[in-house]
Amino acid sequence: MTPLRCCDVERLWDEMREGVQPRREHVLAHLRACPECQEIYRENEGIAYCLTCLPLVDPPQSLVPKILDHIKATVKIAAPDSIARVESPIGRLYVAFRHTGITAVAVDRGEDEELVLAKLQRRLGRGLIPSQAPQWVTETVAAFFQTHRPDLEKVDISELTPFEQSALRAAATIPPGEVRSYGWIAEKLGQPTAARAVGRAMARNPVALLYPCHRVVDATGALHQYAYGVEVKARILALEGYHSKGAPPQAARPPR
Amino acid sequence: MSALAAPFIGDHYRVTAPATVSHPVPGPETFESIVDDYQRRLYGFALRMTGNREDAEEIVQDAFVRAYRALAKMDPQQRSELRLQPWLYTITLNVTRNRLRSKRATNVALDALADPDALLNETQEGPDQPQHIVDRAADMVLVEQALLQLPMHLRAAATLRFIEGRSHPEIAEILNQPIGTVKSHVHRAVRILRRILGPQVGRIVPSDRPTAAEEEE
Ligand SMILES: [Zn+2]
Repeated sequence: MTPLRCCDVERLWDEMREGVQPRREHVLAHLRACPECQEIYRENEGIAYCLTCLPLVDPPQSLVPKILDHIKATVKIAAPDSIARVESPIGRLYVAFRHTGITAVAVDRGEDEELVLAKLQRRLGRGLIPSQAPQWVTETVAAFFQTHRPDLEKVDISELTPFEQSALRAAATIPPGEVRSYGWIAEKLGQPTAARAVGRAMARNPVALLYPCHRVVDATGALHQYAYGVEVKARILALEGYHSKGAPPQAARPPR
Repeated sequence: MSALAAPFIGDHYRVTAPATVSHPVPGPETFESIVDDYQRRLYGFALRMTGNREDAEEIVQDAFVRAYRALAKMDPQQRSELRLQPWLYTITLNVTRNRLRSKRATNVALDALADPDALLNETQEGPDQPQHIVDRAADMVLVEQALLQLPMHLRAAATLRFIEGRSHPEIAEILNQPIGTVKSHVHRAVRILRRILGPQVGRIVPSDRPTAAEEEE
């Protein structure tokens, strides 16, 4: 066996506390022979001990009622978003927005408008009031079709779960004209086993196009799924210069 | 066992996580009991992260509001798959991060949880206060402030690991990081704390090492 170096021993200290370190015996052997590492272990234990001694401070009694009131208040004043129709190269879009940014984009597939609105309201957890699209909204949407890189400052996903937000942010790093797999996103989030959860987050993306869930495909490169149908996904990707079928391999860039 | 066999690999600390509360499927209907069950530990966490009671209170409020809204939008399957505790911690951490980031601009002075002078005055007036209790309170302020000197991601790792006694996989889930990253953050946090606290540690930690029972005091 190769003896452990001091820096390795130091690094293993925390795992040694769990008692399951596979190299436990080697570490102990090193410690017996190395006063410097002994000292480090002793000090580290001291640090850990000091931290456990910090007093547990209780929240004030008033905290729970405050939280509950806060929730009641915000739920009541969850003001409705506005929603407008915006024409685009892939047909008509429904765009929901409020002063903080665009909160939803849905592709019109000829469904009943009421049905579309009901679905969006459920997803956003807020009412929607039909209105005209202000200029910043039409410009943001137009920018997507011109450069495929819309200004994400004008898109508000703050109400989504933290996981959904980070998955969408990761998707937004995929350059236009390229695709990546669900697993690639999962990996990027540091949760390599979360590909299915990524799939769900993409499927529930309320801001289609602007957060490019259409650039996320399955591990074989198949387009897999899209809230507005795989044909629409293929069309958007084609607009960005990506062709899923019959394209030369380097242009297809199958994920991983 | 020889004196050197495992002299400093302690098992008198909380290395296992506090018991988790099990819930029926979380949702807006059960939210009040979720608040009841988690407000205390989320507050404790936010307090260690910010060193400021007011901030901690507001962070916890904000985190629960976000959690409620997110839950209200989830479908039943998502709710049943939700791992409530790490999820609530992740939200709390995100709120903390945003808040500290925006606060850093205005450079707010650290507000220690316990004011050493006040503690000294208080305790010195009582004739029965043994000196070691006075020292101890002052020492805890030192430890608190050392923790607050860490960069936020290292502070989060150290707090979850040592104060809350969580496992590496649990911390990885809360912080959204690979386990290897968590381990290296914990390691770096300890190194920095050793640099800050090193000279004091010998004094703070009693030489007659505490047994689990004594530690309760
Ligand atoms: Zn050594």
